[in-house]
Amino acid sequence: MSEMFEPQIVAFCCKYCAYAAADLAGSMRLSYPSNVKIIQVPCTGRVDIIHLLRAFEDGADGVYVAG
Amino acid sequence: MIVADRKSLDEILWMVSDCNKILIAGCKGCVTVCNVGGMKEVGILASALKIARKKEGKPLEVDEKTLERQCDPEYVEQIRDIYDDYDAVVSMACGVGPQFLSEAYPSQRFFPAVNTTFFGGATEHGIWEERCAGCGTCIIHYYDGMCPIARCSKSIQHGPCGGSARGKCEINAELDCIWDMIVKKKMEQGRLDDLLMVKAAKDWRTARDGGPRKSIREELTK
Amino acid sequence: MEGECHFLEGNLRARKRVDYVKKTLEELGIEPERVEIFNLSSAMGPQFAEIAKGMTDKIKELGPSPVNC
Repeated sequence: MSEMFEPQIVAFCCKYCAYAAADLAGSMRLSYPSNVKIIQVPCTGRVDIIHLLRAFEDGADGVYVAG
Repeated sequence: MIVADRKSLDEILWMVSDCNKILIAGCKGCVTVCNVGGMKEVGILASALKIARKKEGKPLEVDEKTLERQCDPEYVEQIRDIYDDYDAVVSMACGVGPQFLSEAYPSQRFFPAVNTTFFGGATEHGIWEERCAGCGTCIIHYYDGMCPIARCSKSIQHGPCGGSARGKCEINAELDCIWDMIVKKKMEQGRLDDLLMVKAAKDWRTARDGGPRKSIREELTK
Repeated sequence: MEGECHFLEGNLRARKRVDYVKKTLEELGIEPERVEIFNLSSAMGPQFAEIAKGMTDKIKELGPSPVNC
């Protein structure tokens, strides 16, 4: 079962750093797992408790903030 | 304002354990200002309860509604059309809220989601401190605006006591001794003699000791 | 990077909110490691890929969220 399991992961990324880093990873042709779904935010300070909880409520297996 | 703290999720989950559909009722008054029961916190509690019940395999339907205030019959009416759509209503207002709701809607059950703690204010963002005990007979004019009833651990009116050391109270090294503050302020102002004044005994009948209180202002009543 | 946020302290605030959610998950009997915060700069492309892989591996190890079972 665990081999089959493909987690759904939500990543809240700051437009000015982590999202730009993801962009850079793309231009560098670095691959990263497609399980991670990126949501760009204008600032990680915009990420509120409710956004993180809603992700879990709606089925995310993992959630992270990057920035 | 009235300050409150949210109850643990465990306790709230226990209250609603036999429910399939609930309403969480927030309040735009004091509990919004002290960040415990406003629209935002209603959303957070709703989400947390839904996650918990989904995990248990017993999903909970949760609606959210934040009332203008819950301590006013006029605003309590804001749920008149929907109150009986639910198995129970969880109020995030202070202890007044669930009671006003309960009186207005006798057929419904109302649960508190917060512990109402004290009358106070924010000393910095995210930190609240008690300032008033609501004793009904204010005496802080004797003490330059500082209240020994609310802020002295013993509520003594002729302090400081022997437990005051270096400006702190003996019950907690982080708690300022209000009597130390009162005496220092009087000394700074050169009015220490004020404290020698003989005062009539404080009337405690206006505090909770006299039973539940009521305030009537004839000019406002119908 | 932490404390070097474009908006000065956005990521410090985010960390506190992540910590709050960790506590909430714990209260609900869900592994708090399912939520994390990482600090990185715009120049850290390779680190971004590593973090995405690290998080995916960790969640795979934890298994599906108990909310989805």
